[in-house]
Amino acid sequence: MNWRILGTLIAKDFSLFFRKKLFAVLTAIGFIFYIVIYFVMPSTVNENLDIGLYAPVTLPAFTQMQEEGLEIETVESEEALKEGVIEGRYVAGVSLPADTMEKLASKQKPTISLYFTPDVPQEMKDTVVLIIRELAYVQTGQALSIEATEEILGPDMIGTPIPPRDRLRPLLAIMILMVEMMGLANLLSEEMERGTIHALLVTPMSVKELFIAKGITGTGLAFGQSVLFMLLVGGFSGGPLIIVTALLLGAVLVTGVAFLISSVSKDFMSVLAWSIPAFIILLVPSFGVLFPGAITNWIKILPSYYLVDTVHRVANFGSGWGDIWLNLLILLGFCLVITWVGISVLRRRVR
Amino acid sequence: MAREAIEAEELTYRYGELTAVDHISFSVAESEIMGFLGPNGAGKTTTFKMLTGQFKPKGGQARLLGMDVTKNVEKVQEEIGVCFETTNLYEQMSALENLNLFASLFGMRSFDGNALLERVGLGGRGKDRVETYSKGMKQRLMVARSILNKPRILFLDEPTAGLDPTSSETIRNIILEERERGATVFLTTHDMVEADKLSDRIAFMNQGKIVALDTPHLLKQQHGKRALKAKVAGDAGGLEDREITLDTPETPEAVRKLFSQEKVITIHSEEATLEDIFISLTGRGLV
Repeated sequence: MNWRILGTLIAKDFSLFFRKKLFAVLTAIGFIFYIVIYFVMPSTVNENLDIGLYAPVTLPAFTQMQEEGLEIETVESEEALKEGVIEGRYVAGVSLPADTMEKLASKQKPTISLYFTPDVPQEMKDTVVLIIRELAYVQTGQALSIEATEEILGPDMIGTPIPPRDRLRPLLAIMILMVEMMGLANLLSEEMERGTIHALLVTPMSVKELFIAKGITGTGLAFGQSVLFMLLVGGFSGGPLIIVTALLLGAVLVTGVAFLISSVSKDFMSVLAWSIPAFIILLVPSFGVLFPGAITNWIKILPSYYLVDTVHRVANFGSGWGDIWLNLLILLGFCLVITWVGISVLRRRVR
Repeated sequence: MAREAIEAEELTYRYGELTAVDHISFSVAESEIMGFLGPNGAGKTTTFKMLTGQFKPKGGQARLLGMDVTKNVEKVQEEIGVCFETTNLYEQMSALENLNLFASLFGMRSFDGNALLERVGLGGRGKDRVETYSKGMKQRLMVARSILNKPRILFLDEPTAGLDPTSSETIRNIILEERERGATVFLTTHDMVEADKLSDRIAFMNQGKIVALDTPHLLKQQHGKRALKAKVAGDAGGLEDREITLDTPETPEAVRKLFSQEKVITIHSEEATLEDIFISLTGRGLV
């Protein structure tokens, strides 16, 4: 291994990368844009109990509770109630049947339907049920005299409420990695398209050194920026070392993908054409964090899932090594396989 | 006797079913300029790539400075300079940055890029981005890049193709200077005039084989026809052409008769061109 050659190549690649206006601008603007997005997103979670109520008959106890300040909004129909829940105006919707009073009076159990927003945590659901039972108790003086049925409108989402901008963090971090992936793929495909790689390969530099230099350049660019991003948006508060490890593996992963893309690309347009599917596929797990429950277990076949899940769990839930070691191991496996395949196919093209 | 800088033994390369280079053997002595001539697709560039370690031969062996190219590719590449047929410079970098990059890859600590640029006629343009250069300037920069490590063997693939006369002349002078320095030059071209001017020896390549290899003079002598061409005064006051083939037993008598019996207006000798020889050997032109 000739470190002088490696250093020369890496310096050259960094210099060329930032001379390409498109990628330099994308990198700079994108980076600022991601940080702005993060800080523009709400930083707090609304934990008020906004409850919608559809009640063909007025229960005196409910009226009393409203007067005491509980945020219960009455709607005109059950459909309007459901719409309000789906749109997120109410954390929960309560639908009282028309015969509620009669059933309560005759000691029967009225069936009260409860509608919840997808991301409402279990604790909040339990609270709503308790409130309803309490109201029924206040109304009748008897415990457990109602039947409450829960219905989730939209995909369920379980867990601690997380500010939207923190949910966005893994997505933005992976976006940064992706832009660098495209940049490296373009750099490599240009080397081949313009024949500069052949000029390099008739110097004392070996093919192995070429790949190592390219790998360091790609990984360095992606890793450096994603770390800086996480630093600026407070993503290291959970477990900095774990996040750094995950981002490093993520940077290696996108470098491997960049090798693959450049092996089948001839120019910038084909780099773009191949990068977009890779972009979409690798981004999918981040949407699972943004919209929990929207994506099922199948996303675990995507290598980026293990990066996103690690960043999400560590940055937002404070998970430790013991919780995510398997994630990192699987991610490392994906990195090794994809990078090896990428180098193999690219080597064939170079030679 | 000069040592051999390049030795090819039964060198062969195939692209699938197509044999591009077919068991060719030749050698080039140190400080010699070897011109490799042939039409497009003859196998010149493939031979060039095998000799410079870009392609691994499918058969035979190439040795440079006594080293097997396949087994010692990095050591061999420390000793050679390569100028490619197509421009492959970092266009977004300046000429000086391009040269400094490659000087660094060759491990040259004290390298004067400006002096080299002066030498190839690009003095004062070193800090300009290569993308602003003309084709001739780029090619001169390519040649500069190929000689920056003071190579013992210089490989040039069509170095003057499509260039203006000034750029071509600059490059030819550099090739001769490099030979004076002691470098061996391997020059592939289909420009017969260039090959004739520069080469100590010429190899004609056709359909993957070397069909002739010798000095330009001997090739012309062996395969060409020398003649005297004269214009004489005709009967009707016009000019008529006369041609006398040289190097035959009848030549002296034919020359005597020409001058004694006719009024010679102009006379000059004519040698066969390399293209004539190539056509006579292969039945096809060089383009």
